[in-house]
Amino acid sequence: MAYVAVSGGEEAIEASIRLLRYYRSGSDKDLDLEALENKLSLLVDRVMGEAGFYSRRYAALALKQSEGCVEEAVFLLRAYRSTLTRKYYSTVVNTEEMRMVRRISAAFKDIKGGQILGATYDYTHRLLNFSLAREDAPALRESVRQELEAQVPLTVEPCTRVSSELKGEGLIDSCPEDDANPFDVTEALLEFPAPRSARLQTLARADTGFLSGMAYSALRGYGLAHPTVGELRTGLAELCVPYPLDESQSIYVGEILITEAETFTEADDKDRLKLAVGYGAVFGRNENKAIAMAILDRELEANGPYPAQSEEFVLTHGDSLEMNGFLSHLKLPHYVTFQSKLDAVRKTRGGKA
Amino acid sequence: MDKKRIFRILNRADRDFVAGLASEFKETHAVTVLREPNKTLAMIRLREPVKESLFYIGEAMVSEAVVELDGTKGAAVSMGDDFDKTLDMAILDAACNRGVFHSEEALLALEQAQREAEEKENALHLKTMVSFRSMDPEVPAK
Repeated sequence: MAYVAVSGGEEAIEASIRLLRYYRSGSDKDLDLEALENKLSLLVDRVMGEAGFYSRRYAALALKQSEGCVEEAVFLLRAYRSTLTRKYYSTVVNTEEMRMVRRISAAFKDIKGGQILGATYDYTHRLLNFSLAREDAPALRESVRQELEAQVPLTVEPCTRVSSELKGEGLIDSCPEDDANPFDVTEALLEFPAPRSARLQTLARADTGFLSGMAYSALRGYGLAHPTVGELRTGLAELCVPYPLDESQSIYVGEILITEAETFTEADDKDRLKLAVGYGAVFGRNENKAIAMAILDRELEANGPYPAQSEEFVLTHGDSLEMNGFLSHLKLPHYVTFQSKLDAVRKTRGGKA
Repeated sequence: MDKKRIFRILNRADRDFVAGLASEFKETHAVTVLREPNKTLAMIRLREPVKESLFYIGEAMVSEAVVELDGTKGAAVSMGDDFDKTLDMAILDAACNRGVFHSEEALLALEQAQREAEEKENALHLKTMVSFRSMDPEVPAK
């Protein structure tokens, strides 16, 4: 079905765009960007991840502009990002060295470096907290500030991954470091079979809901056996780029919050078994997406008969901008092709409705 | 003090602190802006642990500026879009390169304060360190 060009409607379109202001104007209270950035931070994380664009403030702005619509905010950020040059490539971020704010394992009770629950809703009662409807934000901030001030400073030692220890035991394959330049899906068309770097970049940018649904399908039986989360860690990683006046040096430009997950599944190793690892890494505290990404990374390696194991299926249907753009195009005029379809239907009914 | 460390302190610093340090050089030295502060992207490279290969997780928005102070160049790159701060950092970098930056003590003091603030935040997180006791006899105690 193809859409057709139409003319006219300029005034209605302008009025429609103006009407968005009406829909955004329902209260005298402004949506302050600082508040959005800090108090809807999980939503901000999700938008940044799906846009592939790390800027908390601009993600907050995009959400404000789009009435909180995730796909529209992603679209805005991707569009904005396309207006910028890219002058820098970071030095390699080593997530083993990030300052951890959460680290858990479902594989081992005791892990080297310990399990840090961090801030999680996992153990909360899912009951609406009506007192938040009248929250005293300055008082909350002050009380948290005082609590922070009262802490005795502690260091969080970087620790190796759980998988590193299993690699040491030979239960997981070890590979030498591969410094080949990654494929960049923002600059080149994805081809299949896709390089590993293209797969991981595509999954990291993918729609959270899509990845979750695909991973869920694999867990429910349309894929490999139930994986174990070997490790889930969230932390702040330093971002460094080459110093512009002397590329032999690097400089710190800021820090980014990253969540990464490793899942373990059994795999054949000639006449015995080994553990195979799936890997996921995403911006912010979007941990179900990181786990889903790790599950799909492993499923795609298996190359089996299910949708979650089809590289073409998974990697071409999960991009927020592309999927929503395509769905959105259905709203464009399809008058000609629909007429043809209508004619075909009418012919079969002998001219009678 | 190496560049990475200086930029770590400056990038984490309050913009007023950076402006305060830079003002001295703006007033007493010839500063020429060679590259006006502008926004650009930094692609983030990550190493994944399965094949130990590299991939791009996404891009960060950064601001950059290049200046000359008494004929010596300085540059800065900083996440975000605070152009004034980025320009001031470039001026401070030029001052360092020219050998006329003498406020290392102030940087060290700020670094100490930044470290303490970070470690207090760590302490909050480390309070959530957990030692689970399994109720299943098949799970080894250690």
